[in-house]
Amino acid sequence: MARSTPSYTPVRNYALGFFLSAFLLFSDISYGAFAPLRGFVHASNLYVQMVSISMFKNISNSLSSFQQNRNLVQENEELREEIHKIRTRDFIQRKDAEESLQIVNFQETLFDSLKTNDINLFKITSIDLRNYLCCSTHRIYLQNSNQVQVAENTPVFGGSSYIGQTKNTYLNFIEVILFSDTKHLLPIKSNFFYCDARGKGKPMLIACKLNKNIDDFQNKIGESIFTSGLGGIFLKDIEVGVISAINSISINEIEVVITLKTNPLEENFFGMISRDADEI
Amino acid sequence: MKFSNHLIILSTIMLGYWLDDSLNTVSIKLFLELNFGFLIFAYWVFALPEKIQSSAALIYGLAIDLFFSNVIGFNMLFFTATSYIIHLYVFRFRIFSYFQLSVFFSGSSTFYIACKYLLLSPNNYSYIVLFVSFLITLVLWVGIYFVMRAFRRSVFSNL
Repeated sequence: MARSTPSYTPVRNYALGFFLSAFLLFSDISYGAFAPLRGFVHASNLYVQMVSISMFKNISNSLSSFQQNRNLVQENEELREEIHKIRTRDFIQRKDAEESLQIVNFQETLFDSLKTNDINLFKITSIDLRNYLCCSTHRIYLQNSNQVQVAENTPVFGGSSYIGQTKNTYLNFIEVILFSDTKHLLPIKSNFFYCDARGKGKPMLIACKLNKNIDDFQNKIGESIFTSGLGGIFLKDIEVGVISAINSISINEIEVVITLKTNPLEENFFGMISRDADEI
Repeated sequence: MKFSNHLIILSTIMLGYWLDDSLNTVSIKLFLELNFGFLIFAYWVFALPEKIQSSAALIYGLAIDLFFSNVIGFNMLFFTATSYIIHLYVFRFRIFSYFQLSVFFSGSSTFYIACKYLLLSPNNYSYIVLFVSFLITLVLWVGIYFVMRAFRRSVFSNL
């Protein structure tokens, strides 16, 4: 009787595959070697989705038009369509007006905060919701329809505060890394400390560690946190959030948890200062 | 095996990952991370070990990494390793009961989830998620096994 069952398993091929995969995984995690490839695939996916939706609409329209073969029915349909068009046009105009108002309000907020009119506005295309709700990678993609030149690490404004910075551009999409991404580091300050806050990998949360005693931070929950401008990326004195928790790590070390001011899930438009305005 | 058959198998695995992506946004609030994609892949290797070898596992992993993952290599690594282990013990698995198979495949799936969190999102690593996922996958595996077996018999009647 055989001591072990026969198998089809030549270990050499599996070992090769295993080491190749491990090498690719290590190079991607450590150095982001395949980030452009993934970005390209993601952008292509978005294009395919947009094109397929448009094709589906066209096919559905074509099929419905074949059914209009009698004059009476056709006339009836036309009248219905006309009413529908008027309603749709009215709806679109109302939505358009609402959107314009939203843009104007957002531009005013940006002008108040950044003191410049040279601002490019972008509409959100997608947010990686699965990762945003559970994991460390917090990214959003903005649609760059006008093909504006956007440099890497440009601060991105949303709602009434900064939400992150540009990471890369793929085709006509801009990838933005949010503050809550664990790879993001934001120099911040309050009235009594400076630190570099790292994303916690949880929605709207960042945190920094300080060599201070927890007693020094009594009654500090709810205090506003501002950008310090020390990283050279963000303008200083822009309010980004409030202290929401203070956790003791050891006797002389604490973690200050900050809840961000802007929720990226509730924003449609995001702004960036244009390249020319950013130059000194 | 024909190229078209590989495409059908890859499509079912992708469907699994798409289901995971769609459902996990809801299920994660209940401390449950579904892993249909990995289980479907494991089923195919278990059902057709002589057809799905190391190269197929590697290429399926690469495709899944490109479309559904945040890093290249993670699924390649796990698909290759899982494929090797299943190939090694495939005849012993044939005499296992459904419960024993469930425990093995659910355990593999939980190990996959644990490594995914440890490597890609250590801040969100949670034993309760692993425990709940293990228990639920224990039940889900039986369903996946029978659905995929029916699918395989209807589509690949010659294999």
